[in-house]
Amino acid sequence: MIRFDYKRPDSIEECLALLDMYREKARLFAGGTDLMVEFRAEDKKLKDVELVLDISKLTELKIIKLDQGSISIGSGATFSQIIENPVLEKYAPFFIEACKTVGSPQIRNTGTVGGNIGTASPASDSVPPLVAMDSKLVLASSKGTRNILLSDFIEGAGRTLIQPDEVIKSIQFKKLKPEAGFSFVKLGRRKTLAIARMNVAVYVESDKDGVVTDVRIVPGSATPVSKRIFEAENMLLGKIPSYDLHEAIGKKVSEKMIGITGKRWSTPYKEPVIASLVKRALNEATGVKENE
Amino acid sequence: MNKIKLVMTVNKKNVETEIEPYARLLDVLRDKFGFTGVKEGCGIGECGACTIIMNGKKVNSCMVLAAQAQGADILTIEGVENSDGSMHPVQEAFLEKGAVQCGFCTPGMVISSYHLLNENQDPTDQEIKEAISGNLCRCTGYKQIINAVHMAADNMKK
Ligand code: FES
Ligand code: FES
Repeated sequence: MIRFDYKRPDSIEECLALLDMYREKARLFAGGTDLMVEFRAEDKKLKDVELVLDISKLTELKIIKLDQGSISIGSGATFSQIIENPVLEKYAPFFIEACKTVGSPQIRNTGTVGGNIGTASPASDSVPPLVAMDSKLVLASSKGTRNILLSDFIEGAGRTLIQPDEVIKSIQFKKLKPEAGFSFVKLGRRKTLAIARMNVAVYVESDKDGVVTDVRIVPGSATPVSKRIFEAENMLLGKIPSYDLHEAIGKKVSEKMIGITGKRWSTPYKEPVIASLVKRALNEATGVKENE
Repeated sequence: MNKIKLVMTVNKKNVETEIEPYARLLDVLRDKFGFTGVKEGCGIGECGACTIIMNGKKVNSCMVLAAQAQGADILTIEGVENSDGSMHPVQEAFLEKGAVQCGFCTPGMVISSYHLLNENQDPTDQEIKEAISGNLCRCTGYKQIINAVHMAADNMKK
């Protein structure tokens, strides 16, 4: 176990002041579900840590609210809290589906969405739907706040653009149309604790004639950073959803994935899997029958 | 490193001790207070052998710093028995239904089942599976555990 001092700030201001003072020597502790594993393993990236700042009790960071069409989730909201939230249930159901697959009930009681974003694991379950909703983050430091798109914030596996004096304060996105189609599919049967190896978040909005007016497709863990695959999305925009079209879009997504990661030992396995997950997610979101 | 004075309630008793700021709650419960029913299986949040109830929520005590338990209300397996010292219906049912083999997962399983039955007096198989999904058992195959939870639910209604 790495050794450190511990402080539990009573407010965000106090936390930011301490962070400003200690910078790289301080480590934020949200749910602890990743950090405790790293402390125990004496992960070398934590060797300079002198102080743990426990933000798990900061209620200001746990607020989930809907304000003029925009939803804001405090970074300290736990997955259990998110799953039970009626606003999210109505306006971002695929995000809830994704959060339900995180860890185990015990992990969901402590793990937080901000922590999940901060650790930037490519295997994160909660990130793809947030990227699909073009979420932005509010980052706070003692100097003020700044906003950044989630998909820009995560740079690579385990790397983000956070500064040493900054805290992720909240995640914000526009509420989606409850009547639109959503889907989050994860590889294999739902299995607790298997950290996401592959998943896809999909959102489809259509007009009264069934023509697609807005579409978001975000594969998770297929690439180091979850991004919307615009080329694939454009194939559906202005069209009527169909099985064949979804199949072609799935192939396009896996093609793009290989474009980003290059061919790897796992490619022959991942390529068809991602294509089929995308197809399934689109079918589910638009009510097109599987197995035609 | 400055030691921290920790005050909390464990199994309805107020306790107090000095801890290292980096100590895990799991170790403090076991080593300082002798609650060795709290087991360490994996130490990384995957097996649930260290499950306790903290402020009404079940958590893995290997994932919690002892310092976070300041003022907390904690229940370990040692606090599950009835006030007269007899076994809780969940414990009885586990024995009755053969839900205990090597027993290493049992404290965590019982805590998760107990927590479920406090919230849901009549759980379905699916709800039981969900409730124990963070608790791994290498021996029983889970069937006996699920049967035990049903039996406990029935007995608790009587
Ligand atoms: S020892 Fe805590 S989850 Fe395994
Ligand atoms: S009885 Fe042996 S692990 Fe469950």
